Amino acid sequence: MRRVGRALRPAVIPILAVITAFIVGSFFILITDFDNLSKLGKDPVGAITGALGTIGTAYYSMLIGALGDPAKLGAAISNPTPRAMAAAIRPITETLVASTPLIFAGLATAISFRSGVFNIGVEGQFVLGAFGATVAAILLKDQPMPLILLVSTIAGILTGAAWGWIPGFLKARTGAHEVITTIMLNYVAAQIVLFGLRSDLLRKEGSSEPISKVLSDFVRIPLIFNLPAIRLHWGFVVALLMAVVVSWFLFKTTKGYELRAAGFNLNAARYAGMSAGGAIVLAMTLSGALAGLGGSMEVLGTVPQMSNDISSGYGFNAIALALLAGNRPAGIVAASLLFGALRTGGGLMQVKTGIPLDLLFFIQALVIMFVAAPGLIRVLYRFDRTRGPGAEKVVEGGAA
Amino acid sequence: MTAATPTFEQVTVEVSAAGRKALRAARIRGVVFAALGVVALGFSVEALSTPAVFSLWVDKQGGQSWVITTTVGLLWILTGIVTGLTGILQLVRGTAFPWRRMLVVVLPLWIIATLSALLVGKPANLTGVLGGTLSLAAPISLGAFAGIISERSGIANIAIEGKMLIGACAASVAASVAMLVLGHDANPTIAVLIGITAAAISGILVSLLLAWLSIRWKVDQIIAGIVINIGAIGITNFLYLRVLGKNTQLNTPPTVESLKVPVISEFPVIGPILFSGTPYLYFTLIVMVAFAYMLYRTRWGLRLRASGEKPSAAGTVGIDVIAIRYRAMIIAGVFAGIAGSSLSLASAGSFQMKMSAGRGFIALAAVIFGAWNPIYAFGAALVFGFADSVQALLSILGVDVPPQLLNSLPYIVTIVVVAGVVGRVRGPAASGQPYDQG
Repeated sequence: MRRVGRALRPAVIPILAVITAFIVGSFFILITDFDNLSKLGKDPVGAITGALGTIGTAYYSMLIGALGDPAKLGAAISNPTPRAMAAAIRPITETLVASTPLIFAGLATAISFRSGVFNIGVEGQFVLGAFGATVAAILLKDQPMPLILLVSTIAGILTGAAWGWIPGFLKARTGAHEVITTIMLNYVAAQIVLFGLRSDLLRKEGSSEPISKVLSDFVRIPLIFNLPAIRLHWGFVVALLMAVVVSWFLFKTTKGYELRAAGFNLNAARYAGMSAGGAIVLAMTLSGALAGLGGSMEVLGTVPQMSNDISSGYGFNAIALALLAGNRPAGIVAASLLFGALRTGGGLMQVKTGIPLDLLFFIQALVIMFVAAPGLIRVLYRFDRTRGPGAEKVVEGGAA
Repeated sequence: MTAATPTFEQVTVEVSAAGRKALRAARIRGVVFAALGVVALGFSVEALSTPAVFSLWVDKQGGQSWVITTTVGLLWILTGIVTGLTGILQLVRGTAFPWRRMLVVVLPLWIIATLSALLVGKPANLTGVLGGTLSLAAPISLGAFAGIISERSGIANIAIEGKMLIGACAASVAASVAMLVLGHDANPTIAVLIGITAAAISGILVSLLLAWLSIRWKVDQIIAGIVINIGAIGITNFLYLRVLGKNTQLNTPPTVESLKVPVISEFPVIGPILFSGTPYLYFTLIVMVAFAYMLYRTRWGLRLRASGEKPSAAGTVGIDVIAIRYRAMIIAGVFAGIAGSSLSLASAGSFQMKMSAGRGFIALAAVIFGAWNPIYAFGAALVFGFADSVQALLSILGVDVPPQLLNSLPYIVTIVVVAGVVGRVRGPAASGQPYDQG
């Protein structure tokens, strides 16, 4: 029992952070519920219960939207047709689909945080990775599909890695702060994608929008279940594998040890004879490669084609994920599943109650805030008062 | 172990090695400049007869105009001669040559020549471009001032974007509500002022949150900035979709009109460019001068810079670093909030989702490009505003230049500057680091 307790100890602050963030989010739903609040003068009890009811419906539909409707699940068990099966498992598979890019982006962020570099550029590396995969796929579109799949995945990894290498190299060589360079490179990446998607080579024929030709016509990552409307593909499994690989790399290999040493204390690592610049470049390149792989999985598996909004803020979600998970790969997977569930469930919430999905971005910001300021949570829940604020360092190594 | 201290010979060898390196860099630079000069002269050959027509309004927008007619070839020849001379001087005078100062002349020449080459004889009105440059630069420089003051006090501020977004939203809602409350006969100026005040207050609140998280809870300042940037998008999108979309009367503020400064707006040529802009432009110029004076010429400024450079030393001589940082963040909030209000009140006429569209990060770029100095930062904002304005001109005149190229200019320039390719800039030493007041 004590072992279980110790294993769960690092999860206490994150769980309380998520719960607190949702409570604050509810408050915002409440004060913007004009339909119910306008009745406050005539029928205060009804207005309050109505508004609380909205919150209840919102969070309940989020749960159903993310995990599945019990009624449809029952129908599928009593009458297992492909249609009923698909209807029953669609929400949960959509959650897994939504969590796939988050796992890649989260791992990419975590590997850089562990090495003491603040890669804010996962967003750009992800987008450019997807772009590289798209270019390769379109160039090779008459080749056999396995070849396209392989080459364009590699192209995505390489583009992402190159986009991560630039800030790493600049930091190692000139000391340019990676936070600044990666923020700027995110915008440059977005412009490159816009520019590329206007070219005749990539643009969808007859479209004025910045979207590419439909890739799923000639290349698609195979699906795990062959059921109608189920989009879950093997990219999810690749994401899980990558979590294992990153965990093995960071904790079981010499290079990984060097990266973590650089993250703990760059000077100490340097005096121990490690190449500090090398660690920074390696960390940024690997981080970019993971993000690029995530981007190629997204464009080759989940969505039919490349567009300029291929990433709906995955790179920024990833920062929340990495903090929430304490940069542990297993934690990244767990946190990504949670965020994936929020995104998928948030869709149903939006349909059922009209509460915009964007609330989740706000809730996410609150989650980062509470995880980054554990003292705040301790004060709110009045425990462990012996430790002062900031006793725990969230990002190991921090910004170098 | 006798080699612990370097002997005299070793030191001189090192110095001369560095000197050789600098000399080689100077030679390479000289050759590059000379080669570019030849390239410009080469461009001139084919363009000798292509006319280049620029005009400027003399008295007012759309009034009399003053036309400058020349040829693209002549512009290229001028550019080529100046660039080539710079290269030759660099080669002759070696490392002592102040080549960065020459860039101030060389770069504009290249820009003008390239612009005229792209226009291929189409007449271009520069008053519009330059006026547009100034009005685009105003919110960017205000955002940059917010960044400068907080970074100078020792708090890294990547949250300008979020503060501007929230300021834009608050300004629009407050001004619209003020209009509804005051009635339609009321003076819209009062509503606008209420909107701007609301933007400033919301900026202060967000700034204080950043300060509180980073000072009281020692949250990494980059993380705190990310919290604000993501949270700002979330909360403003949420409000827009849930409230403002259905109640458009809450998002129809009176707009800020351009204001002609009496007397000086009548100045020929300069008047229509400089003194016929929005009040935001004048506010920015006044703030720039006042802020630069405060920062470099007053006790307050010295203390502010001390707490950003060496807070422990500042603390030792009795300066309350924490109080200075909180106060600096309040002022930063005012600047960023007002910068945001200009987006919804002056440019667009209402609040739109994600309407800051990266301007907060361009402001951050201006902070760095401007070396944490308000006047240079305004210059940087002018460069970025000019790129934007030229792009608008080119697309109106139907010149086919990918807009993405000019759009990414601020970001690329910033990367080049922080990487020290064209001279290194150095930020406040303690920016981003928490400080423990004993």
